[in-house]
Amino acid sequence: MLAIFKKELRSYFTSMIGYLFIGFFLAIVGVYFMAYNLQGGYANFEYVLNSMVFVFVILVPILTMRLLAEEKKQKTDQLLFTSPLSVSKIVVGKYLAVFAVFVSAMVITMFYPFILSKYGTVSFKLAYTGILGFVLVGAAYLAIGLFLSALFESQAIAAVVTFVVLLITFIMQGIVGLLPTSNKAAWLIFSVIALLIAVVIYFMINNVTVAISLGVVLEAACAIIYFAKPSLYDGLVVKVFDWFSVVDRFDNFMNGILDLSGIVYYISITVIFIFLTIQSLNKRRWR
Amino acid sequence: MIEVKNLVKRYGNHLAVDDLSFTVERGQILGFLGPNGAGKSTTMNMITGYIAATSGSVTIDGNDVFEDPIEAKKMIGYLPEIPPLYLDMSVVEYLEFIAEIKAVKKKERTKMIQDIMKMTKVDDVSERLIKHLSKGYKQRVGLAGAIVGYPEVLILDEPTVGLDPKQIIEIRDLIKSLSKNHTIILSSHILSEVSAVCDKVMIINKGKLIVSDSPENLSKHMEGANNVHLIVKGTKDKVMKALNKIDGIVKVDFQGTSEEDLIELKIQSKEAIDIREELFYAMAEAGCPIYGLERKVMSLEDIFLELTENSTITERKKKSFFGQMKKEKQEEKQEERQQEKQEEKQEQKQEEQAQETQNQVMQVKEEHEKENLEFEDREFESDKEEEEC
Repeated sequence: MLAIFKKELRSYFTSMIGYLFIGFFLAIVGVYFMAYNLQGGYANFEYVLNSMVFVFVILVPILTMRLLAEEKKQKTDQLLFTSPLSVSKIVVGKYLAVFAVFVSAMVITMFYPFILSKYGTVSFKLAYTGILGFVLVGAAYLAIGLFLSALFESQAIAAVVTFVVLLITFIMQGIVGLLPTSNKAAWLIFSVIALLIAVVIYFMINNVTVAISLGVVLEAACAIIYFAKPSLYDGLVVKVFDWFSVVDRFDNFMNGILDLSGIVYYISITVIFIFLTIQSLNKRRWR
Repeated sequence: MIEVKNLVKRYGNHLAVDDLSFTVERGQILGFLGPNGAGKSTTMNMITGYIAATSGSVTIDGNDVFEDPIEAKKMIGYLPEIPPLYLDMSVVEYLEFIAEIKAVKKKERTKMIQDIMKMTKVDDVSERLIKHLSKGYKQRVGLAGAIVGYPEVLILDEPTVGLDPKQIIEIRDLIKSLSKNHTIILSSHILSEVSAVCDKVMIINKGKLIVSDSPENLSKHMEGANNVHLIVKGTKDKVMKALNKIDGIVKVDFQGTSEEDLIELKIQSKEAIDIREELFYAMAEAGCPIYGLERKVMSLEDIFLELTENSTITERKKKSFFGQMKKEKQEEKQEERQQEKQEEKQEQKQEEQAQETQNQVMQVKEEHEKENLEFEDREFESDKEEEEC
């Protein structure tokens, strides 16, 4: 695992990507720091972070696109997967490397509150809660990027898909506000989702009977809930879609709340996507 | 050392490897032969645990590759068809990385890497980035990577591709010297290489084992099928008539003539029968002067072509392959000859009959060619399929 970690880290800094990421990231931090803290005169560094969550959408694809797609393209995955290393060690090593690049940029931002404290009173608790929240959001997004990189052989496609997926999670807050709230609409939406799940299952395991029976069971469940206990549908659509709104929970950290459910949420997103990455690599080889 | 049992790999409806079983003893070099898309690389990928088998098992020194992959993979060094190189690393960095993932002890690393670089003759480019190296160097760096950690089993997929003749000989010698301490499986298109290096040759086609033997035995086995190359002056039916009088001919192939009036023939005779003398008298009697007569002993190339072509055409099982092919051809010939004997009495029809035999021969030849084309098509398809997979 250490070998993979070291190799990945080195390749970030022998190619341009590592420097590009850190440079671009710090430049944007600098711009917002200038605007809010120096010219605006606020003593809150978390405002800077709050305004620059959008950079994840651009920077995460750049960092993660090559992680696994490149190995596949260059056929170097043959070396890794025939070496005495388990797939999970390889994936975790790669994730830690990309996370380390991100954290190394974050470490530099940790000095900003100190700079501010020279000119006034700064609430370090607020600032560092914000930084922690920012790191957690980054960790979750990097895991999603890693997973998508495992699905494609081309770096460009992996980057574009990661970009789109992150953008969707980013604007999910807005989308949720537009969703209908009536129970009937909720039933409709969930039955469509059930159908989609059945179709996806069919393409994954190529078994018509299993897919159809699963679809029927899910549809029946949706209908039963609607007729037996429609109150369950109250606001369910919003709740479910909110779950995908990764940025949403960041607001609490911004307001200085060390939100335990938020921490658990981000860590579980990270773990789930690392797990999915391992599974997708295993599955590809078992095909 | 390596035991492969009933290995099957299926991609959708395409059988890439069909029930392959073999064992390799410690210290042996096994050569894998087969046309493109025969399943060589797929088999190697399964032995090394890169892809999973549909069914069957591979054990390396008692460790099942699919059930106990980490232990099994510790004993394997693998050079795939395309060497897995990190282009933005230098040669030393690359080998150090491999030593690390293969968990070579830190103290031994530097010396081992120096030794291996000397062995594979890449020490003069050790500090250069791999992306700047030529194909031959890249291939040797890949081979060096497979040797790192001195695994007991080396699996080399076409190790000499892209090398110049001098390097090929060096690598061959290297492989031979490695076999003292390692068990080696290698695949190749170059047959002379296999016969020069390997203790045992396996010819596979369309995922099936066709024959497995030592290179010497293989040649001996096939020597039975004597081939005589004949150039005579005369017409086809005249020559055919003369040939029909000779016993022991299995197959006659007409080939293109380079000069007018001359006919070139490839005649295959029964095992252990030398028909050259008889041919001479028969042709003399028929009034067809011989311009050239040459006996051809089958090389490994011929055996390879013969075996792979025929197995595709007839889809025959490997067991009965040798015998059956000859028996059937003989029976055909005997029938023809019997017919002819009867008809010799009816002299009027004789000429027609000769014409017919000739047609038959031409037909056989045409069919042969058609099937060859089919074979190529199929080979192409299976290539494509493999790529898609």
